[in-house]
Amino acid sequence: MDEYAIGVLTNIGLFSFVALSAWLLLVAGELSFGQQAFFGVGAYAAGICTAMLGWPLPLAALAAMALGAAAAALVGLPTLRLRGLYFAMATLAAAEMLRILFELFHWQIALGDERIGPDGTQGFRGIRWMFERGVEPLDFLAIVWILLIGVMVIFLRIENSRLGATLRALGHDPELARSAGIDVDRLKLGVVAAGGALAALGGALFAHHNTYIEPRNFDIMLGVHSLAYGLIGGLGTVFGPLLGVVLDIGVLEATRSLHGYRMIVFGGLVALLLVFRPRGLLDERAVHWIKSRL
Amino acid sequence: MRLTLAIFLFISAPVLAQRTDAGLKCKYSGTDFIYDCVIRLSRGGEPLSGAQVSVGADMPSMPMAHSIKPVKARPGTKPGEYEARLDLEMQGEWAVKLRISGPVRDRVVKKVRFD
Repeated sequence: MDEYAIGVLTNIGLFSFVALSAWLLLVAGELSFGQQAFFGVGAYAAGICTAMLGWPLPLAALAAMALGAAAAALVGLPTLRLRGLYFAMATLAAAEMLRILFELFHWQIALGDERIGPDGTQGFRGIRWMFERGVEPLDFLAIVWILLIGVMVIFLRIENSRLGATLRALGHDPELARSAGIDVDRLKLGVVAAGGALAALGGALFAHHNTYIEPRNFDIMLGVHSLAYGLIGGLGTVFGPLLGVVLDIGVLEATRSLHGYRMIVFGGLVALLLVFRPRGLLDERAVHWIKSRL
Repeated sequence: MRLTLAIFLFISAPVLAQRTDAGLKCKYSGTDFIYDCVIRLSRGGEPLSGAQVSVGADMPSMPMAHSIKPVKARPGTKPGEYEARLDLEMQGEWAVKLRISGPVRDRVVKKVRFD
């Protein structure tokens, strides 16, 4: 497999984490434009842990997930009182605040003859834990996909469990769910925290794949795309956001000859799709149809 | 394939200590969005020749949506010098990624503004 193909497949895997985190909130009935912030929290946290504190990556990834969950819960506590578009706008505002905090974040230490660490808008270079251990791109691709498959297996198990049914009920009608005895506030906070942890895991891997991150990596563009992945792929199954990422990157790669115009073409295709399939390609009806024929 | 999960061992020592320094200068080729770049690589103050250098780039605000397919750089006229032509999608700030293999293995990211 050539370097380019490995890079594309790695990107699909990495962005699937943030897509799944946005999808999780969509299933619970919330539209978040802020998952990119927790992707960023994970990237910075894991980068600091490995490059500056000398932690091993697995420990750093766990710390990043914990921090991502905590940050998401902190954002969720005041914003989950809001509904619909108001919640969406609040998450976007929180994400932008976090991005600006990354821009103001300067903490560097001397390692040998160079300084390592976040340097505001100049970004954070030298996140080389994987690289310095001789991990080849193909190995990294395998790591990303093993973790992603693991996450998807967990999601599939949840989907077929009581918790999955509760989440769907919550997404369809929170008031009805509340009247059925579901602790809506607590469950939503748990979903938000889990989404934050998942996005942070993706961010941790992204930082170590790229070796360099900067605040602009985590701006609104990533937020819109991560939300679009679930909406394009479909809300009916955990495979929806993955399909969304594959279609997104696939369409973008296939329209390379259109240069800068390809984003316009892509945006138009997304708009058309959402008119005809508002809950995505793999919506609940499509999933039911597929399951009935298996 | 090497057991990839081995890298997840909690104790593993880095195999590379010294880093590659890279300088990058790009100039407009005369065709829209196409730039000719000269890369200067050194290691420990000495020019790094004989390396295979692959050059990619992406826009920091959307690394996945705006990226270019990596191209192989050819050796330049001076020791440690390499040349590559980048066909970008638009002007603006790009993160140019150099993947170095051969006598040494390294990865360097340089931020460049293309106007």
